[in-house]
Amino acid sequence: MTQVTLSGLTKIFDQKSPPAVDNLDLEIESGKLTALLGPSGCGKTTTMKMIAGLLRPTAGDILFDGDSILSIKPEERGAVMVFQNYLLFPYMNIADNIGFGLKMRKVNKKEIRSRVEDMLDLVQLPGFEDRKPNQLSGGQQQRIALARALIVQPNVLLLDEPLSNLDAHLRDEMRVLIRRIQTEMGITTVFVTHDQEEAVVLADKVALLFDGRLQQFDAPDSFYDTPNTVDIATFFGGTNFIPGRYESGEMTTAIGKFRAPHSLVPEGDAVLSIRPEAVDLGEGGENSVSGTVLSHVYAGRYARFQIRIGNIEIEAVTEPGQVKLFADGDNIPVRFDPDKIWVLGPNAAEQPAGATTA
Amino acid sequence: MNRFRLSERGAERLSISVLLAPAVAVIVLLFLGGLASGFLRSLNYFPLIGLNDFNFDAYFAIFTDNGFLQSLVLTFHIAFTSTLIASILAVASALLLRPAFRGKRIVHFFFSLNLTIPHLVGAIGVLYLFQNSGLVSRIMTGLDLIQRPADFPAMVFDPWAIGIIIQYVWKEIPFIGVIVLAILLSVGEDYESVARSLGANRWQAFRQVTLPLIMPGVVSASVIVFAFTFGAFEIPYLLGRTFPAALPVLAYQSYTDVDLAARPQAMAMAMVIAFISTLLIMAYMKLSRVYIRE
Ligand SMILES: Nc1ncnc2c1ncn2[C@@H]1O[C@H](COP(=O)(O)OP(=O)(O)O)[C@@H](O)[C@H]1O
Ligand SMILES: [Mg+2]
Repeated sequence: MTQVTLSGLTKIFDQKSPPAVDNLDLEIESGKLTALLGPSGCGKTTTMKMIAGLLRPTAGDILFDGDSILSIKPEERGAVMVFQNYLLFPYMNIADNIGFGLKMRKVNKKEIRSRVEDMLDLVQLPGFEDRKPNQLSGGQQQRIALARALIVQPNVLLLDEPLSNLDAHLRDEMRVLIRRIQTEMGITTVFVTHDQEEAVVLADKVALLFDGRLQQFDAPDSFYDTPNTVDIATFFGGTNFIPGRYESGEMTTAIGKFRAPHSLVPEGDAVLSIRPEAVDLGEGGENSVSGTVLSHVYAGRYARFQIRIGNIEIEAVTEPGQVKLFADGDNIPVRFDPDKIWVLGPNAAEQPAGATTA
Repeated sequence: MNRFRLSERGAERLSISVLLAPAVAVIVLLFLGGLASGFLRSLNYFPLIGLNDFNFDAYFAIFTDNGFLQSLVLTFHIAFTSTLIASILAVASALLLRPAFRGKRIVHFFFSLNLTIPHLVGAIGVLYLFQNSGLVSRIMTGLDLIQRPADFPAMVFDPWAIGIIIQYVWKEIPFIGVIVLAILLSVGEDYESVARSLGANRWQAFRQVTLPLIMPGVVSASVIVFAFTFGAFEIPYLLGRTFPAALPVLAYQSYTDVDLAARPQAMAMAMVIAFISTLLIMAYMKLSRVYIRE
């Protein structure tokens, strides 16, 4: 399969605005599924189009298995892009849509027909050959778009937000299908999404992009456990931040001292981050402080508490049963598990760009 | 309560009809009235000049007249050739004008500028440039490409109607081009990108993807141009031969003939032009409906 390397990849559309993609370095592993994650407008589609050869980079290089492919035409790169809005050719039936790539390669009609049939089986829409795209639902169109890409046996499959136009139920189904096909065929796949949950569920590795710049490139769980910056932790959502000073394995904050063995910064001004699930209510001892329950929500599979500690408010997510133990207004001990505290630099600007953690 | 009272929507509809009535009346009187009286006259009914009995003599006369048939062929030649050339060049210009480039707005302005220039001005321009004594032939003489201005091939008043076609092509390229450009921009480049990424080269992507996507629009615009060039009078009158003349010119010649008996024939020709134009407009409406449905 194909390993894709982006090296200093940059795209500037016009001189007045900041680069759409800014000096991007990325190692996309052969045969793996890599997610390109980031908010809308951060340069994901632009990056994909450059890999596919549909846009010329302003600077930098793209390598497939170590060889630059910048001078290779899109139709010869073997990098097939599936667009967010499916873009099935409206005047062709489904069989002609799927067979398009083979027709361009002048494969004979009989072989095209049989491979189209195989593809329809693969995406679980057998017998759809003669329908027109506008007779299909969004989910079905997306599958056909996927089949149309897979039939040419691409070296690199580029999926641009393939699930974002589908409703929640279909999205789960498509996720499973994409993951299954990707694993079976072992195609190097880049999967674009703005949904962090989708990225962590699907991908072997996630590249997070803000404003065209790589923020972190890591295994999915690292984004929750050891994010590089406050911005990244915020993007993944729900984390509590408490500013303070970090020194010899200890965070000193306005609400007390906490032992914190895991830190991104050696010492100095820092931010303690702890996920709501790692906040233990009603437990005293080491790393615990006293807080007041402000409010709580029972959500079936879990419970969510708002706690005030000094003049800071934090969120805790617990077993649902804990709603019975604590009432609003109660003063209770609150403990931060030292192993689950992660200390970061005070703001994004002080993080080395593209830094990764093991 | 009162079943004769108009519902609100009915009242609204009625008031729209009342408001539209004057405009509709003008259209009906001028257009359908003219058509009806022309049709009656073509059937030899024209009491004013003493023709009172209906017959198909005029139609019989024109369809057996070699001159009329030559005019019909010539008119088809003019309309078909100029529409085809204009369509091809319009698609090519629209493709060139599609990508973003510096000065695009100015180029676009000049491209669509001659939409506002009357056909007559274009005809005078063609005369000025392409006559035997015209600018082009004099420049070519000056450059020693031809010996005398008279050696310049006939492009005006010529049997192939080249001058007429040049004028129509010049005038209709931006008309079709602006329509095609609008379609290209609304379709976007992503379909072509998909095709390229699936392995189509530039030509294949154009032929297999872009062209089918813009074709309904090209055809619709071309049908309008065809119907217009088929029925228009002034350009073949100014730039064409007197024999064979384009149909509208022939109809006019017959109508102004001193022989009053030629009038029904003139009307019959006008009816043939109207009939063919109507067929084309219907084809156009059908095509655009198919296009909208997709
Ligand atoms: N063809 C283009 N011309 C000018 N600017 C563009 C073009 N395509 C994208 N951009 C800009 O580049 C940035 C990144 O866009 P894009 O890659 O589409 O983001 P994403 O896919 O992450 O939502 C955006 O600010 C967008 O406005
Ligand atoms: Mg995008």
